[in-house]
Amino acid sequence: MTKTNFVIRTEGLTKVFGKVRALDGLDLTVRQGEVHGFLGPNGSGKSTTIRVLLGLMKATSGLAELFGSDPWHDAPRLHRRLAYVAGDVALWPALTGGQCLDVLGATHTMVNKRRRAGLIERFDLDPTKRVRDYSKGNRQKVALIAALAADAELLVLDEPTSGLDPLMEQTFQLCVRDRCQDGVTVLLSSHIMGEVEALADRVSIIRRGRTVTSGSLAALRSRTRSTVHAVTVREPDGLPEAEGVADHHQEWLHGQVDSRFTIDPDHLDAVIGRLHTAGIHTLTVTPPSLDALFLRNYDQSPSPANSGDNVTAAEATS
Amino acid sequence: MNTGTPITSDRRNGLGIMLRIVGRIQRRSALLWVLVLGASMIGTAAGVASLYDSPDKIHSYAQAVTSGNALLAINGKVEGIDSLGGVIQDEFGFMAAFLLPLLGIALVARATRREEESGRLELLLGGRIARHEPTLAALLVATATITVTVVLFAVGLAASGVPVAGAVLYALSLGALAFVFAGLAALLAQLTQHARGVYLWSLLVLAASYVLRGVGDATQTWVSWLSPLGWAEKAAPFGDQRWWTLAIPVAIGLALGVAALGLAARRDLGSALVHSGAGPQHAAAPMRSPIGFAAWIHRPAILGWLAGGVLLAGMMGALSQQLLGAMAGNPALAQALGVAGGRPLDGFVAATQLYLAVIAAGYLVQAIGTLRAEEADGRLETRLSGTLSRTGWLASHTLVVLGGLIMIVLGSSLVLALATAVSVGNMAELGPTLSSGLAYLPAELVLAGLALALYGLRPRWFAIAWAGYAVVTFIAFLGPGLKFRQWVLDISPTTHVGNPPLGAVQPSALTLMAVTALILGAIGFAAFSRRGVPQG
Repeated sequence: MTKTNFVIRTEGLTKVFGKVRALDGLDLTVRQGEVHGFLGPNGSGKSTTIRVLLGLMKATSGLAELFGSDPWHDAPRLHRRLAYVAGDVALWPALTGGQCLDVLGATHTMVNKRRRAGLIERFDLDPTKRVRDYSKGNRQKVALIAALAADAELLVLDEPTSGLDPLMEQTFQLCVRDRCQDGVTVLLSSHIMGEVEALADRVSIIRRGRTVTSGSLAALRSRTRSTVHAVTVREPDGLPEAEGVADHHQEWLHGQVDSRFTIDPDHLDAVIGRLHTAGIHTLTVTPPSLDALFLRNYDQSPSPANSGDNVTAAEATS
Repeated sequence: MNTGTPITSDRRNGLGIMLRIVGRIQRRSALLWVLVLGASMIGTAAGVASLYDSPDKIHSYAQAVTSGNALLAINGKVEGIDSLGGVIQDEFGFMAAFLLPLLGIALVARATRREEESGRLELLLGGRIARHEPTLAALLVATATITVTVVLFAVGLAASGVPVAGAVLYALSLGALAFVFAGLAALLAQLTQHARGVYLWSLLVLAASYVLRGVGDATQTWVSWLSPLGWAEKAAPFGDQRWWTLAIPVAIGLALGVAALGLAARRDLGSALVHSGAGPQHAAAPMRSPIGFAAWIHRPAILGWLAGGVLLAGMMGALSQQLLGAMAGNPALAQALGVAGGRPLDGFVAATQLYLAVIAAGYLVQAIGTLRAEEADGRLETRLSGTLSRTGWLASHTLVVLGGLIMIVLGSSLVLALATAVSVGNMAELGPTLSSGLAYLPAELVLAGLALALYGLRPRWFAIAWAGYAVVTFIAFLGPGLKFRQWVLDISPTTHVGNPPLGAVQPSALTLMAVTALILGAIGFAAFSRRGVPQG
């Protein structure tokens, strides 16, 4: 594996603020040309990771590379190649939106003027209004237009659509896709599943400063249990004990056997065989929804010992 | 639906909650104000009491400062100056004239329009807080802080040997002065869109009050009665003791406060008399460069402090002929002003340059404090996410701040030199006046270095820079007149300049201070390039 293929690479990244471990061994790889969804609950370390990657903060330990270089030492040089939208967009209240765009653009190497004009139109922004008179969504638009208008190789977007209405979110997705067609790499930190599902090629989910899982969406799905609902003529043989089956419920309904369970994708074939032998009347296999995928990963507790307890507690109350 | 009684009790709860919130927000700054004001007053009182410890000395001081109108215009006309309390009132008059109004303005502006501007007020009004309650709570907390200050003043004065009745009336007259400006700030907070506007307009009113009081006192006319500063003075705590004059500031402060509450209850959240309109679609070319943008950020501070320096220099210059005449007739006056020895005109320019140095140092601390605000508000993060390096960012701001300093020092010195020259009728003073202003640069830069080092190391500690500035101000304003001990005077870098043009400039001290400033600045730069952004 040559590391030059990676636009972003972190290994065992840690960042300690006083007594708080904001990052605790975080691994993240973003390949050239991909949209990488960066997910995690509030306070899980997404913004800290991004600040370390931008060289705004120094990692306590571990490796962080941006375009194959150390961001802490090379920040201004590396920043020529990227554009950034901060999680909490803060602009100068006395400037107009257009002035802000120019000031922000001045710190980027190249701003595509025509694309900028197009973006102002697509996002329906009035650039003559003062920032202090903008709503939160309009301030967000200013930061997005500045980033999307820059001729950058990498877009680092920290929750870029917070405050945007659904129409503008649609516009945002279209604009990001346009940039991707130009070969731009995107690191997209987000909470909006639909947005990630629509844009991301691969995702990394982090929790408490550590990577919980990462991979393509398809691969993540295939690692997660599907839900099966089958109605068979006879009772399927040895179904509750079969390997990979859990949450099994069975009852007789109108002279037929109604079975519901979840199944590990690796054992799906064997179990369908058993259902087939019992004579299938109806069968539905539901793959995990993206929401469920994330909720499952978000929901885990800090240490393995605790997590067991919590799961039992959650099951007991539900 | 609730009936009448629970609603009123809810309202009362709302005010209680609001009082606790404002109290919590203001806790630290209110305490700081009370301590600084109390220390200034008690320090002045103790200094005066030990320096003028016999009726003869007090009498000669009174003789000195009442000869001629110039000092009346600057410090105010003190009735009953031939007493310990009178001398204290005269010495403290200049500081009191802007510190107490500022107390009222700062406490109210912070808790009203700034909270509204930031959107935090919206959060509270969404709860069970009524629209007028934040303003009411701000006024009540400000009044409580003023009351504590008044008690501290009265006790401090009485402890220094001032008769109790005079001490109480003087303390109350100063408290009432702060109260008027608290009410004014509360009203302005309803009318202007930003906290900065509240400060700007109330400081303009304060400047007008100062001028009206000065004109009234110098011309011995009723004009002083138009000024809140005049009302405080007319209470005459060490003269005729007109207790009834307290009713004027209290009544006007209450009227302003009630008007503010009425407006707060009726107006829309976030509304103001004047709204900013549309602006340019593009940033001008200079603003796109790091230095040009830094200049845009620091422009208000540079212009504001320059205006302050020019006003002070112009006023002092214009009064110079009168003061010189008074000094020629009464050597004790020079003693009281702390400019004894040498040519009187040099002593006068030296005293003014020390004041101007205080203004320049205040500008430096405030301008460097702006960097902290840029970082705390999250704008620095955006600024540094482009090709601009940290060192480049800090260096362009430092350059602009230094350029502003040169402008303020040269501008004020030039006005001082010209006004003095016109007043005295001698153009020969131009060179020495300018060079004496420049001689203070290293001393001012020590404070800038301290502020930069604090910003680089730990922005949260920035208050130390303001504390250092307060010490410098206190020593500069009161040190010479009250004859502080040498080691106290030596704490302030301004002492080491050598009091030009009256005294000789100390080249070795200037070099040492310049090196100190440079080292502190370098520490600031080094620490800033090594720490995380943003950092609290």
